[in-house]
Amino acid sequence: MRVPDLTLPPLFASVVSRLPATPPNLALVTLLNQLLKRGVLPADMSLLAGRHFAVDVLDAGLRLRFGADDNGFVLDDGHAEPDLRFAANAADLARMMLREEDPDTLFFNRKLTIEGDTELGLIVKNLLDSVDWSETPLARFMAA
Amino acid sequence: MSALNLKLTLGPSLFFWPRETVYAFYEEAATWPLDTIYLGEAVCSRRQQLRTSDWIDLAHKLADAGHDVVLSCQALTESESDLKRLRRVVGNGRVRVETNDLGAVHLASSAGVPFVAGCHSNIYNVDTLALMASMGAVGWVPPVEMDRDTLAAILAECRARALPLETELFAWGRLPLALSARCFTARHYNLKKDDCQFKCLEHADGARLSTREGKGFLTVNGIQTMSDGCHALLPHLTDIAAIGVSAVRVSPQATGTAEVVAAFRRAIAGSAVDMDSLPRPDGACLVDGYWRGEAGINPIGEHHHACA
Amino acid sequence: MKPLPELVCPAGSLPALKTAIDHGADAVYMGLKNETNARNFAGLNFDEKSAAAGIRYAHDKGRKVLMAINTFAQGVDISRWQRAVDQAADLGVDAVILADIGLMDYACRRHPRLRLHMSVQGSATNYEAVNLARERFGVVRAVLPRVLTVDQVRHVIEHTDVEIEVFGFGSLCVMVEGRCLLSSYATGESPNTHGVCSPAKFVRWEQEGAATASRLNGILIDRYGAGEAAGYPTLCKGRFDVEGDTYYALEEPTSLNVLEVLPSLLEIGVAAIKVEGRQRSPAYVAQVTQTLRAALDEAARNPQRFSVKPAWQAALAKLAEGQQQTLGAYSRPWK
Repeated sequence: MRVPDLTLPPLFASVVSRLPATPPNLALVTLLNQLLKRGVLPADMSLLAGRHFAVDVLDAGLRLRFGADDNGFVLDDGHAEPDLRFAANAADLARMMLREEDPDTLFFNRKLTIEGDTELGLIVKNLLDSVDWSETPLARFMAA
Repeated sequence: MSALNLKLTLGPSLFFWPRETVYAFYEEAATWPLDTIYLGEAVCSRRQQLRTSDWIDLAHKLADAGHDVVLSCQALTESESDLKRLRRVVGNGRVRVETNDLGAVHLASSAGVPFVAGCHSNIYNVDTLALMASMGAVGWVPPVEMDRDTLAAILAECRARALPLETELFAWGRLPLALSARCFTARHYNLKKDDCQFKCLEHADGARLSTREGKGFLTVNGIQTMSDGCHALLPHLTDIAAIGVSAVRVSPQATGTAEVVAAFRRAIAGSAVDMDSLPRPDGACLVDGYWRGEAGINPIGEHHHACA
Repeated sequence: MKPLPELVCPAGSLPALKTAIDHGADAVYMGLKNETNARNFAGLNFDEKSAAAGIRYAHDKGRKVLMAINTFAQGVDISRWQRAVDQAADLGVDAVILADIGLMDYACRRHPRLRLHMSVQGSATNYEAVNLARERFGVVRAVLPRVLTVDQVRHVIEHTDVEIEVFGFGSLCVMVEGRCLLSSYATGESPNTHGVCSPAKFVRWEQEGAATASRLNGILIDRYGAGEAAGYPTLCKGRFDVEGDTYYALEEPTSLNVLEVLPSLLEIGVAAIKVEGRQRSPAYVAQVTQTLRAALDEAARNPQRFSVKPAWQAALAKLAEGQQQTLGAYSRPWK
């Protein structure tokens, strides 16, 4: 399965950006904590604790915010300046998550913006890379 | 301050100077208060103002005049002609050599020629040092990036193991940081390395590479990249002697090497030395970060003026 | 007909390892999560458990796993490096890749049956250096630094029994590996001492009006205009000023790609072709491995009429740093 190369229409973004952000943030944090609990996400929380993250899905007008403590991922009130921000269109983020494209390639091609603490960015990138999806039901979606 | 138990050596010139300049330099150096003189082409095979036989003749002449002399080997050895020159240096029949790669170690070791393992030998621990000694090393120059505490620990362990090796520290000059197959000086002039027109001759202390903010950072010296900062361990000589270093090395610069050598000699004799007045290569700032376990570029302590 | 070179691919994580195997790597190389390997980055590399799983996965499919212990053991207590060698032997890796000759000595005494490879960080650029490693420590393979032309590689091969491995694709070190201290000059940490180059914790991006500045420990490595692609501030790939010219004074951000000279490399008898990039993602590993596998197989089938397929070049070009590629030192004019 390849992610089609399309950009979401501007109308979509203008609608989404007006919706409250908490449900997607809550869904994301819950998912991350599930993955952490089952050992799928091999995160060393001591490297992430106290940090704030933002993921901007540019064409969807969606900004996901979350934080981390020693035990897992937490909702973020959104007031703190994120320590790390990823920004890309939905299709490119999906390609990155499904391992069709590597984040460095997207970065070299200027399709992915990474801002903030560079070392934290590497930690998160390496964390995503080290997830062994073959041990999960999601395996069939993965490109690599 | 009492006199320190340290020898003073002159490293091989890492720059490309005209033939007459080289001969004049060593004629003068022969009169300086040095314990050992290193010489030879250590950087680039295309630098042939002196041919290998000229270097060997010069070394033997200095040895005849009673000087302790070491022939330095080229650090990056790629082709058969590089190896051929290396074999001639190692087989010079009279003086010991400074090896700067494992190929040279192999040749010296097989021929039973005593050698000093140069700063490019990547000796970072006692086991590797002991192994070098077992292959015929009589001395070594620690990697220039090694900090004081690591070296002190290694030397303490050397004494415990009774390893009879002389330790010589790179103590003055632009630091040899990296080697490449590419010639950065030729690149600067948009020339191919094979047709470099010997542009290095125009840069007697190398060419300064600055950041886009105009801060001196590195030095382009043919295939070698050096620091812009002039590594200066002069303020640390008491400590250097105390941890068991046997000798300190001054790396030649285009002008003022005699003054630097004289200053080191005075410091070793126990006199105070005014660092600020010392001539530096191309007026570079003084750095000693490596020795203090920091970034090598960090300037020397506050009681001296790092930059002229 | 000489045997086809092994395709040796990078594994910074278990998924990358599996990906490399699944896409046609003959061998993968990995490192432990500490300063014993030259890609000592946070979140990367293997612990004992994932290493064992990776080795099992590779061996089940008849492929090899090499462990890189390729920094220089530091100081007096070098037990971490020795333990890494012991661990590798216990885990049953097919070879260890070492740079420090003291450690090679330890490995050949303690584990006489363990195959030793000389790392590219060992800076063996000529056959005398390679042969010393063979005579003293029984090294069976050497990875050559990226400084030799194809003819010079051939010359090394003709003068040694040691198998020769060369780089085929990936980010390019312009300096001789193992002989570059630029990173510690700027930051205090280098590949030789800490297994890192231009480490991320010293990197800062600063907005300066419309321009972006990239700094390493405060040193300006490059500055990018609004429309310019920004790169990671690897020291040697910045823009600097020499005598009034501002340019990539040492090296452009670029990747090595040997597809064009693949038939020559086969002809001179290199034993293995290595892909750089343990710090890259499984997606990168998949694409490079697949492409080089196809190219190697094609070159083996048809060495005389081998030509580089545009699709291969396109696949690799996309992955390249700065999207530029070079033959590097294999081609004399690069020098």
